[in-house]
Amino acid sequence: MAEPKASGPATSEPATFLPMGDAGLLISFAEKPGAATAERAQSVAAAIDRARTRIPALGRPVPASASVLVPFDPLELALEDAIGLARSAVTDAGAKPETADGGAEEPPAIEIQVRYGGADGPDLDAVAELHAMRPEDVVELHASARYRVLFLGFAPGFGYLGGLPAALVTPRRDRPRERVPAGSVGIAGEHTGVYPLAMPGGWHLIGRTDIALFDPHRPHPALLRPGATVRFVPVIDR
Amino acid sequence: MTAALFDVLEGGLLTTIQDRGRLDWAHLGVPESGAADPWSSAVANLLVGNDLMAAVLEMTLVGPVLAVRPGVAVSVGLAGADLGARIRGGRRLAAGRSHRLAPGDVLELTGDAGDRRTSGARAYLAVPDGIDAPIVLGSRSTCLAAGFGGLDGRPLRSGDLISSGTSASRIVGPELVWPDDEARVLRTGPTASDSPGAHEAEPRTLRVIGGPAHGLERLAEIDWRVGAASDRVGARLEADHVPDGIGGEIATQGVPWGTIQIPPDGRPIILGADHQSTGGYRIVGVVISADRPVLGQLRPGARVRLAPTDRATALAALRAQQDALLAGAAAIRDAAGWGALVDSAGG
Repeated sequence: MAEPKASGPATSEPATFLPMGDAGLLISFAEKPGAATAERAQSVAAAIDRARTRIPALGRPVPASASVLVPFDPLELALEDAIGLARSAVTDAGAKPETADGGAEEPPAIEIQVRYGGADGPDLDAVAELHAMRPEDVVELHASARYRVLFLGFAPGFGYLGGLPAALVTPRRDRPRERVPAGSVGIAGEHTGVYPLAMPGGWHLIGRTDIALFDPHRPHPALLRPGATVRFVPVIDR
Repeated sequence: MTAALFDVLEGGLLTTIQDRGRLDWAHLGVPESGAADPWSSAVANLLVGNDLMAAVLEMTLVGPVLAVRPGVAVSVGLAGADLGARIRGGRRLAAGRSHRLAPGDVLELTGDAGDRRTSGARAYLAVPDGIDAPIVLGSRSTCLAAGFGGLDGRPLRSGDLISSGTSASRIVGPELVWPDDEARVLRTGPTASDSPGAHEAEPRTLRVIGGPAHGLERLAEIDWRVGAASDRVGARLEADHVPDGIGGEIATQGVPWGTIQIPPDGRPIILGADHQSTGGYRIVGVVISADRPVLGQLRPGARVRLAPTDRATALAALRAQQDALLAGAAAIRDAAGWGALVDSAGG
């Protein structure tokens, strides 16, 4: 973890600002990573994105679970100035009224149809065994929760989903697979998610969907957007 | 209007279309992509009068075999590692120069540079007005992971056709040489053509700004080798004795190109152009921007040292590199009599 020495005013904004090499700045929040920090990262990133129209040396920020990476052109913008802009963004984001949880209307959930178990979810039985439940209980639990897209990363269109029932929290596989099929629905730690493409991966796979999570030719290439709600719907098609 | 230039007879080990890459899509998890050695792709472009970041062919270790189409005469800019470029049955084509190719010429880069031993991994070929490819998410670069950009998101293979967006009048230009003095400004050696003296026995140095996690100083004491599993996503370093207690997992965060991740097994992964937008391994430092070209030229088996440096040094090196590129561009422009054809190297 980052040391608190480079932090802002030690009041309600315990964020640290650390250089990441010569062309990046990492804003990290001190709290335990979770839905609240991910949401805050999105707000801060949005504030920085707005500042880019005035300051073209700022790159597009990358929000994650409890941090925001801010790329910038170091020959056009001094580190101190980048930190100043980041500090303002953190303040701006903190000052904005919270709309996500209590207030405004919830957008409709994105429904993802999943074939659980079998060849589509080769780790379903192992996950069930680990938690001393039946595979159908794992499916029911996984499909009964409402998830929130915390942030995107790892692969194009891959959303880290928060809200996994505590009874399903599962560590990564000891041995990552060299190839996980596109559409695989996995669990790792407190997150669940869907692999948008065939790629190596270490998540436990419990099912699979045919939905296209990423298409670079769509106006919105990624199906999942931070803040959106997701539900998994079991299907039996065989 | 585009002009069909080459028939691809062999694709080579890994030949892709790359330009500057996708800088604005990491928030959706899209890899940056782009030329792994931006210096050399810029040199190749400048040699044929292009923008610095026009789309080029990036060729890896063993390059493609390209047949110039009937009726086509074209100038190509070559830069980066010397992969033994030659006209089949004819002359050798040096890196750091532009060359005129005639109809029916077969250009091959066999990976065997003969007496000019090469230490680099990637060569770049530019054509006037850039290699033609559709723009996807703001770039022509090939995204190998997700299979889009470039040629349908995949490497070149036999039967492909390579075109440029060129206009006929500029398809053949003067034969030009990248000024060597400019290349030598760069201390650690991204050169327009690999110098004959540079070979695997000498370790390449990557200058690194340390942090956030501790451990760079200990890693800097080690003589690393580039592992065989290295690719455009990242260089995987190996050593006989890897220090304990540096690696581990962290909360997933955004990671820039050049990030040195240390997984629990302690073996560093240095993120390259195709790196994932976020990472969950501990980070001991980031390679300075000016040394991205060195990183992009590491070939499996190469020896590498990590050298801690500071921000002032990093920025001075980056500025010197940009100045060298501008000076080289100006020299080429004068030699070619192109006037204002070469765009500013400013961004």
